[in-house]
Amino acid sequence: MRWGEGWLTDYRASAGPDDVLRGDEGRGGRWWRTLLDGIASVSGGDLDQLQDRIGRQVKELGTAFRLPGEENERPWPLSAIPLLIGEDEWTGIEAGICQRAELLEDILNDVYGEQALVRDGALPAALVTGSPHFWRSMIGVPPPGGRRLHIYAADLARGPDGEWRVLADHARTPAGAGYALENRLAASRVMGTLQARLNVQRLAPFFSAFRAGLAGVCHRDEPRIALLTPGRYNQSYAEQAHLARYLGLLLVEGADLAVRDNQLFVRTIDGLKRVDALWRRMDSRFLDPLAFDSHSAIGVPGLMDAVRAGNTVIANAPGAGVVESAGMAAFLPVLARRLTGEKLRLPNIATWWCGQPRERAKVEASLDQLVIGPAFSDRPVGLTNGRGVLGARLDDAARAALLAGMARRPQDYVGQEIVHLSTVPAVADGRLIARPFTLRVFAARDGAGNWTVMPGGFARLADDPDPRAAVMGEGAFSADVCIVGRQRVESVSLLPANVAIRRNPGTLPSRAADNLFWLGRYLERGEATLRLVRAALGGTIDAVGGAALVPATLDRLTGLLISSGAAIDPREDDGEAPAPDVRTLVIEALDGEGGASVRSLLGSVRAIAEGTRDRLSADVWRLVDAALPERGDDDVGGLLARASVLLERFSALAGLAAENMGRTAGWRFHDLGRRIERGALVCRQLRAFAGDEAGADDLTTLLDLNDSQISYRARYLTGLALAPVRDLIALDPYNPRSLAFQVEAVRGHLDALPRLRDDGMAEEQQRLAIELDALVSMSRAESLGTNAVMGIENRLMALSDAIGRRFFLQDNETIRAAGMTLA
Amino acid sequence: MTTMRYDVSHRTRTRYARPVRFTRCNLRLRPIEWDGQVVESHAFHVEPRASFGEARDSGYAVNVTRMLIDRPAGEVVIDSRFRVTVNRPVPDVRADDPTVAEVGAAARASRDLGPTGPASYLFASPLIALDPAIADYCAAELDPARGIVEAGFALTRRIFTDFRYDGTATEADTPPAEAFAKRHGVCQDFAQIMIAGLRASGVPAAYVSGYLRTIPPAGKPRLVGADATHAWVLIWCGPARGWIGFDPTNDCAMAGDHIVTAIGRDYADVAPVDGIFLGGGRQKIDVSVDVAPIEG
Repeated sequence: MRWGEGWLTDYRASAGPDDVLRGDEGRGGRWWRTLLDGIASVSGGDLDQLQDRIGRQVKELGTAFRLPGEENERPWPLSAIPLLIGEDEWTGIEAGICQRAELLEDILNDVYGEQALVRDGALPAALVTGSPHFWRSMIGVPPPGGRRLHIYAADLARGPDGEWRVLADHARTPAGAGYALENRLAASRVMGTLQARLNVQRLAPFFSAFRAGLAGVCHRDEPRIALLTPGRYNQSYAEQAHLARYLGLLLVEGADLAVRDNQLFVRTIDGLKRVDALWRRMDSRFLDPLAFDSHSAIGVPGLMDAVRAGNTVIANAPGAGVVESAGMAAFLPVLARRLTGEKLRLPNIATWWCGQPRERAKVEASLDQLVIGPAFSDRPVGLTNGRGVLGARLDDAARAALLAGMARRPQDYVGQEIVHLSTVPAVADGRLIARPFTLRVFAARDGAGNWTVMPGGFARLADDPDPRAAVMGEGAFSADVCIVGRQRVESVSLLPANVAIRRNPGTLPSRAADNLFWLGRYLERGEATLRLVRAALGGTIDAVGGAALVPATLDRLTGLLISSGAAIDPREDDGEAPAPDVRTLVIEALDGEGGASVRSLLGSVRAIAEGTRDRLSADVWRLVDAALPERGDDDVGGLLARASVLLERFSALAGLAAENMGRTAGWRFHDLGRRIERGALVCRQLRAFAGDEAGADDLTTLLDLNDSQISYRARYLTGLALAPVRDLIALDPYNPRSLAFQVEAVRGHLDALPRLRDDGMAEEQQRLAIELDALVSMSRAESLGTNAVMGIENRLMALSDAIGRRFFLQDNETIRAAGMTLA
Repeated sequence: MTTMRYDVSHRTRTRYARPVRFTRCNLRLRPIEWDGQVVESHAFHVEPRASFGEARDSGYAVNVTRMLIDRPAGEVVIDSRFRVTVNRPVPDVRADDPTVAEVGAAARASRDLGPTGPASYLFASPLIALDPAIADYCAAELDPARGIVEAGFALTRRIFTDFRYDGTATEADTPPAEAFAKRHGVCQDFAQIMIAGLRASGVPAAYVSGYLRTIPPAGKPRLVGADATHAWVLIWCGPARGWIGFDPTNDCAMAGDHIVTAIGRDYADVAPVDGIFLGGGRQKIDVSVDVAPIEG
């Protein structure tokens, strides 16, 4: 028997009648069989191995889901088995979602406009004000672009009868669209052509429609649209960075933006640039400290002024979350008929808001048959974890507490019918098991302002076989959702035709430039430390064919490790302490706690890279994110091996930057960082090893540290001499590791970067670069003693500061709440 | 009931360790129109020179003025001066007052989404959580069958009696639960505790910022500038009686000595000054308030 067939038989026997696979097969759907046959052939019959491969792909792609409070990202486990939905069934869901999104828009329009629904008694005022996402200051503010909702998501449950119902609405910052995209990518890497055989509808058109929708409501033809993130500690930051890259939006934090004269701008290396629209991924309350919560440090002061002036589109409009509350769902069936003239195509789960006397009486009378939940996102008495509870599960004390709470503040509670969830197949212990699931679907407005639904989404599977939705929580797995059909999906026809060709990548925010610059500096610094480590360790080995370095040279090497901050000299604290041995210093320089140890530098690199993830390729991120190699023996051989492995990683990153990064302004800042750091490091090495007293070991070490032995030997047959070595390392513009080469590169970058002055005069950083270039060009090796090198090094650091002043956000611009007064 | 007339001056002086380069603030210092008081005139004097934006609608009964200073300043002085007449009777307890339960039911059924409709004052707000300990403490005076005005006076007295006024014990952002546990605080704490308790029992309650005329001890002259901003509570007493003010710091109702500046859900909605500035280092704030009764 074939594996696919065997799994099916096995699964049919274990799944209940409410299972999606069994239901589809009962109606003649063949897609599950095609899927399982295909999975059987790609997995060789080993489901666990398939699940592992999927897990690896998710990790590869670098999108991890983070729960609140977790410091480190963790991969959100993706089920190996996608959820398949036939296109006929999907058409019904689509129509229901579009109707609902439009209905919610209408309600928002009324709540923040005329308020006729409340005045006429169709919607109690308390149902609106109970929502923590209702912002009174938004009343009477028309949304620029005419719409408050641009993207919307709903959580759906499939009931035993196969009917889909809405569990929850997401109107503020619907999360998960990026995960849907990642899940699809991860699955397709493992499944190969299986998706094509199933005629799975593609996700890409949905995203281009969303982008076109945002662009369509802006005033300008080629608008600048940004994704406003709360920052890299937000639980869905990885998703935000991914979406920004995928949609071609600028990823910005509040500090990147500024409002001047009611106009929103992003701070870029090319000065302030106008921003037309924001996809905000933070709650309204944080958006603008002057309009909402005055303590918000992640928002943009004055943003709402730009909105009121009609200049900035915000998706979704502040205050849109008022329609999300569970209490609101109780009124949607009636509001749908009133506002759209139709009944809801996708029903809600039946909901009773206890703020109304009759509904409350009904809920109290049938407590055992209902879920009792918070009407708003608060934690009312008796529901302290903020989630719904099954009335029947309450013990006497909990029931009494809940009823007492409801007597005082009935408006805080809803009763909901108990939803039983259908199941889908998931993998556990090498076989298929049935797991209850919910489905998150996404809708966005397209360029014409019409709603379009993502053909797919984000399914969450429970860990527990209990099919009651109320006990499921956040879910334990996600699954890709595939809409399958009879028609072959043409991939080519979906590519847009008339795209204007561009070679200019667009705006580089100052913060991103700053990050890329420091990424370059830290990477270069780490690499240099590793080269020092290698030279120092090598210098202790008195092997055949090469004697150990003389003590004076070795001291200079360890001196550099110490002065760079990578290792600490015990004599600093205790003047009597013996000089540290090389091994101890090296162990510290590699893995110590010091801020400049290789381990610490890689930590800084990772932190910076994480804040710039939208601009780094997945390959770069993977190298940066990889765990450090295991520590081996701490003998000289073990340490040398460890240094070499680490050096390879740095070299790989340097190679990726040199060969794979587009020659954009971003790359220039990254390279500027590398050049300035390398220039400064060469200066320090010149001062240590190429002073007027330098010996042969010093000079050979200097050549080694700068990978220049071969170049030297190719040029000079005479052996080591001070002036030629100095010239090769400091002044030779053809040696890519020389100081002169770095200075020339820096000058070139600064000439290519944008200027703010329009009078044709050089800016400060350019002037300093020109001076430095001239100084180095005119220097002569014979007179390049330590003082002269020190002078060059100082100028290089002054140049670095000037670059920071000109291009980066200056962090002395702290924003704080002004004085509060009270008695 | 006599008509009182006051000249009020409220001066906020902020000194910075290093000059601030840019200041953008919301001022909530111009008094609103409210039952029983008429604002005759109001003016701001700001040093250094500031520009004022158009008035913002915060959605609450607050006059918000946007102020911008776009030049470096080592010191910013905001002076708000106004003249107001107050003619407000002491509220009485009536036999036909709605009960606590009836007030809650009317608020839940309200069709008023306006800035002073009861619905906006029925729920927890950013600075006032519905703390269970405060809820139980206040519920003792808020029997569902009790008349709402009588209950308001009783709760005012209970808080006044059980809590000690201590001007040094709390900060502007001390949560009500903390002040409650320590049984002391300033007017803001008294007001917020009372509001938390009322809302926890389903009664709409609002936070009022304003001024109180202080009567000097017999034989002593009135000290100019020694007054302070004050805060108290408004309870929504059903559609017929509307909002009635109670002052738990002084065990009295809001009447002729109270001048209303702004009404919101909590202090955050009515803070006299907040906003952002760039640069500046540490700041030191001095506030001086003077409420001067005018003869005639």
